Amino acid sequence: MTTTVANNKVEEFISNIASENLLCWEKFSEERKIAKNILKGLDFPTTRNEYWKYSRVSKISKINYSFNNQSDLDLDLSSVRIDNLDTYEIVFVNGFISLKNSKLPASDQLEVITLRDSKTDEYDSCFSKNLDSITNIFSALNTAYFTDGVLIKAIGKVDKPIHIINYSTGENVISQPRNMFVSTSNSELTIIKSAINKETTGFFQNSVNEFFLEKNSKLDFYVLQDYEQGMNVMTTNVVNQERDSRFSAYNYTIKGDWIRNNTNVFVNGENCETNLFGAYQPTEKEHIDNHTIVDHLAAHCESNEHYKGTIGDKATGVFNGKVFVRKDSQKINAFQSNNNILLSDEATMNSKPELEIYADDVKCSHGSTTGQLDEEAIFYLQSRGLSKKSATALLIGAFLGEVVEKIELPELKEKVLALYGME
Amino acid sequence: MITIKNLHASIGDKAILKGINLEVKAGEVHAIMGPNGSGKSTLSSVLAGNENYEITDGSVDFLGEDLLELSTEERAREGIFLAFQYPIEIPGVSNMNFLRTAINETRDARGEEPIPAKEFLAKVKEKSALVELDGSLLKRYVNEGFSGGEKKRNEIFQMAMLEPKLAILDETDSGLDIDALKIVSHGVNKLKSKDNATIVITHYQRLLDHIVPDFVHVLYKGQIVKSGGKELALELEEKGYDWIKEEVNA
Repeated sequence: MTTTVANNKVEEFISNIASENLLCWEKFSEERKIAKNILKGLDFPTTRNEYWKYSRVSKISKINYSFNNQSDLDLDLSSVRIDNLDTYEIVFVNGFISLKNSKLPASDQLEVITLRDSKTDEYDSCFSKNLDSITNIFSALNTAYFTDGVLIKAIGKVDKPIHIINYSTGENVISQPRNMFVSTSNSELTIIKSAINKETTGFFQNSVNEFFLEKNSKLDFYVLQDYEQGMNVMTTNVVNQERDSRFSAYNYTIKGDWIRNNTNVFVNGENCETNLFGAYQPTEKEHIDNHTIVDHLAAHCESNEHYKGTIGDKATGVFNGKVFVRKDSQKINAFQSNNNILLSDEATMNSKPELEIYADDVKCSHGSTTGQLDEEAIFYLQSRGLSKKSATALLIGAFLGEVVEKIELPELKEKVLALYGME
Repeated sequence: MITIKNLHASIGDKAILKGINLEVKAGEVHAIMGPNGSGKSTLSSVLAGNENYEITDGSVDFLGEDLLELSTEERAREGIFLAFQYPIEIPGVSNMNFLRTAINETRDARGEEPIPAKEFLAKVKEKSALVELDGSLLKRYVNEGFSGGEKKRNEIFQMAMLEPKLAILDETDSGLDIDALKIVSHGVNKLKSKDNATIVITHYQRLLDHIVPDFVHVLYKGQIVKSGGKELALELEEKGYDWIKEEVNA
């Protein structure tokens, strides 16, 4: 018997979704074909793989998924809208763009092109650039079978934030949105990403976002992850920065059964600023994993990274932040910090900050702390009449609040504070 | 107001309070003095409800209630206030937000409505002036980056805002220069009335020049070994604690 296929798990995984007839656009056929070939040689990672050491994917890979286009649903999006903040809205349902629910931008400062309508020369320079779809099976899966997406190009200072809302519903559904964001020279763009899920069981969202910041542009990317049960979420963000640009990512996880966020920034030009902020507060048996890479490929740049989390009950948190400073990237200021508070004896945090420096004239620091709530501070607050519960809430709010305070849109900050239960 | 009988407390296996007896009535100021390690701070922590200490014997009656049965916050809401020897820095929590929460939770426990914003602000203005606490400190995080004197003034400011029935000042004079000492003492004296009481815990007599006690007690090896009027403090200042130790050990 020699019929055994080496990577039958992957083949089985894609055999269901590949038979669907939803994605056969003419566009991207070459890119999809290459990715499908790569998939044949890949397997799902195990925890023996350092990059996946603390996040098991077996609960994701063993489900038989199908696509489920529900883009004609009538949706109530009020829960994710931000009070007093006017935004454009691009809505995806199960990974498919829902035009009827979207408020597409109409602005001279902005081009929004759906990938199905895009021309090769519009996306060719940015599609899959620096995305690791050679060894990373989830990136390859997205490239081979992405469901839908947009290419957003900022021409000038865009007047309103673009709110991207992913709506998910159904059982054993896979959703693979794929978006590209280009801020052209001297432009400014703000993206807010929110999610709603209703009646999901074994739902897997595997999204890829690619960012291209041309010279002297500014791009802010806010992500709010607040999921009800039944969602497994894998997000991969790849950022390319040219000179004098400023990229800021803010990742706020409120709830989610299983979340893995990968954010990889390639700083290709001088005088860039990169900011990565995140907060997470898993409880029950939730699993929240943030992996980041900042790769300083050019000199005279600054990066700031700060992730903070509280881990309660039997939950698990993972943080892995890598900063590379390449050989000729002198005068780099790179700061990275991860602070955690364990709220229960059964909570787990795996934190690994990493710094690889090949240049000699740089200022870099990284640090990680994992501790418990300050009992003396709780006693102090109680001695003034606060209950233990509100003393604890006040301290947690103060702890996570530090990274929520980074939000530059006051209306959004208020929303995030409210989601975390802070006044 | 408060009656402490035969109070024993320990931390781990170590007994620290070994039978404290003390009665404080409304309108009185009591000073508790004693050498280092005699149990002064333990007494204040135990009265405030610090769970690090285990009560092994004795009773504390506060306004007819069994104080030892109450949680820390319940004691605070009943009117006990502890001014900390080392006030805690709490980054990220603003002084104002913290005080408003403290006042409103106390009001809520008494079945009262939250304090109206205007009333709260007026009270803050009045009480912060009492201890000459700068307005900018009120907006800052609790005690974070405050000087020693500012921390102690913030304690008395909180006391003024919370209007306790029994205030326990734990070494409030430590780390204070003479000007700050006067300001803090002035605040405490202004808050004194016939309906409240103060326990001043101190190592030195100098605070008692400004906050004049009705009674002075000497704590040594976990017991009150000597009590007297304010002249006892002067005697201690002059002769130190050795003669007391000798008396007790004899």
